[in-house]
Amino acid sequence: MTAESAREFEALETQARTLMGVFAKAGYEAVAPAILQPAEIFLDVVGEDLRNRTYVFADPEGAELCLRPDLTVPTCRLHWERHGRADAKARYCYNGPAFRFQPTGTIATRPREFRQCGVEHFADPQREAADVAILKVIIEGLKAVGLKDYKIRIGDIGIFQAMLRSLDISDTARARLQAKFWRPEAFRRELAQLSTRPAAAIDGLPRALVDAIDPADPAGAEQAVVRYLADNSIELIGLRTAREIAASLMETVATARSAPLDKETATLIASFLGVSAPARAAGARLKDLLVGRGINLGAAIETYRNRLQLMTDADINCAEITFEADFGRNIEYYTGFVFEIVSPTLGPVTPVAGGGRYDRLMRAIGAGNDVPAVGGSIHTERLLAAVSDRPIADSTARSSGARP
Amino acid sequence: MTETLVLAVPSKGRLMEQTAAVFEAAGLTLRKTGNERGYRGELVGVANVEVLFISASAIASALRSGEAHLGVTGEDLVREEITNAETRVVLLKKLGFGHATVVVAVPQCWVDVRNMADLDRVAGLFRQTHHRRMRVATKYLNLTRRFFAGHGVTDYRIVESLGATEGTPAAGSAELIVDITSTGATLTANGLRVLEDGTILASEANLVAAKSAPWTPNIRAIENEILAKLGI
Repeated sequence: MTAESAREFEALETQARTLMGVFAKAGYEAVAPAILQPAEIFLDVVGEDLRNRTYVFADPEGAELCLRPDLTVPTCRLHWERHGRADAKARYCYNGPAFRFQPTGTIATRPREFRQCGVEHFADPQREAADVAILKVIIEGLKAVGLKDYKIRIGDIGIFQAMLRSLDISDTARARLQAKFWRPEAFRRELAQLSTRPAAAIDGLPRALVDAIDPADPAGAEQAVVRYLADNSIELIGLRTAREIAASLMETVATARSAPLDKETATLIASFLGVSAPARAAGARLKDLLVGRGINLGAAIETYRNRLQLMTDADINCAEITFEADFGRNIEYYTGFVFEIVSPTLGPVTPVAGGGRYDRLMRAIGAGNDVPAVGGSIHTERLLAAVSDRPIADSTARSSGARP
Repeated sequence: MTETLVLAVPSKGRLMEQTAAVFEAAGLTLRKTGNERGYRGELVGVANVEVLFISASAIASALRSGEAHLGVTGEDLVREEITNAETRVVLLKKLGFGHATVVVAVPQCWVDVRNMADLDRVAGLFRQTHHRRMRVATKYLNLTRRFFAGHGVTDYRIVESLGATEGTPAAGSAELIVDITSTGATLTANGLRVLEDGTILASEANLVAAKSAPWTPNIRAIENEILAKLGI
């Protein structure tokens, strides 16, 4: 482990035993997934923030490996390999090292090697109940080691996705926004362009080529590209074919010829993303916002409300939970409920625990189909700092929304 | 013990000659001690300076570690080899040689890709079609990652290339490249074109100071003497 004192080591071990005890008692089976992981799978699914901070290297035979930056993907792989199929029901808990490069330097609450302790719940079709069970057991763990003061922040990627699906906009515009979903900044730019001047999409492209492209005629577009390249003595090099180049141009031309998004729709999306409210009030706020525009997100909002009710039933104090519509958009594998637990000692940029639902991750790692899955984990070094009340100033970094 | 300032300069080729010329013009001579093939020397004109003749990228790492107080190397290497360079070194002076621009270049036949936003979109399409991510050949791993991240481009992977990078798209071992160019002629000859907003860095040789080097008042005085002669 890192250069820690014997006392710190013992404190972390004791804390981990307590956490694992809570998880085991709640029915989670202890596992120890591999520390070395194939790099490709991780880099494909973890999103930009973690991708840049993962230790990647080649073994003597040239295989690309990484030191796991979190334990969720390794636990998924362990589950899939163990059962030969990913949709077997299971609940796991773990405590072990994870590794992340810290570009701003390592400090006590941002070590490059830290121990993550968490739980994962696979293949339970009762999604909301499973979401709440995970949040509940994480909170129980935190309380068991003595964390008294904390705040919970939640989000729901599902509501945002449902809103995008039900907006009355062109399929091209929807596809373009959807593609930017995981990158808030790019999404904002795309929205701005679509709602002001979609025609700008073709600025700077050769006029003759654009005029020869009909978004509904792939064969014609491909011929136009081939002709344009020949006329300008440009050689077609590399793997991308004239057909691929034509398909991309068709998309751009279709965007340019579409009507601008109406102002209200753009405003609606922006106000939707701006919703940040106490968890109970948030459901009503979202509903008002959308119903007023004739958009019915009945199922998604209902899911959200059910989940809140289940939280209340599980004695989780919903009055202390904040909902943020925009939260959870920088980890590409989340698909629904997301949460983060913050201690006032460490502040909002250094959450002590976090997690969420990731129903598409099993397919992404190669399991062949989507499997309902939700999990949460605790950054144990931070938790120890929070309960031993050693404030560590860290105002420069920003929470990534990742598992801490 | 006498305190010495460690100055790292390029050990060979045009960079070494041009560095020597800059110091010469300021009345300072870089002279190797011992035999001609050695890599240590002195700065004739200022006492207590130990000159290290090492490769340009070794200079960047010596500045990162603080092994050298001052060094002459390209800004491209400083930004590539030193994480958070702005907090760890000071670029004291651009020296007017070793110009090179680090750029993102794609095949000319990619008529649909004008800029980084197009590249982002096409990277997604490429991945859907080919079931793997686009390959970017480069020796600038860190500059590429940061620049691509800054433009939100994520569907790519880097193929490390230590020579003839501009030939990789035609050879089929990468889809696009990040490399240095001066006139652009080599890129054009290889059927490549720089993206509109694809300039990552306009680099040239710099005199650089390492913040983490063991600075003392005496060594500061030596530094001031050198900088004064160089007109900084």
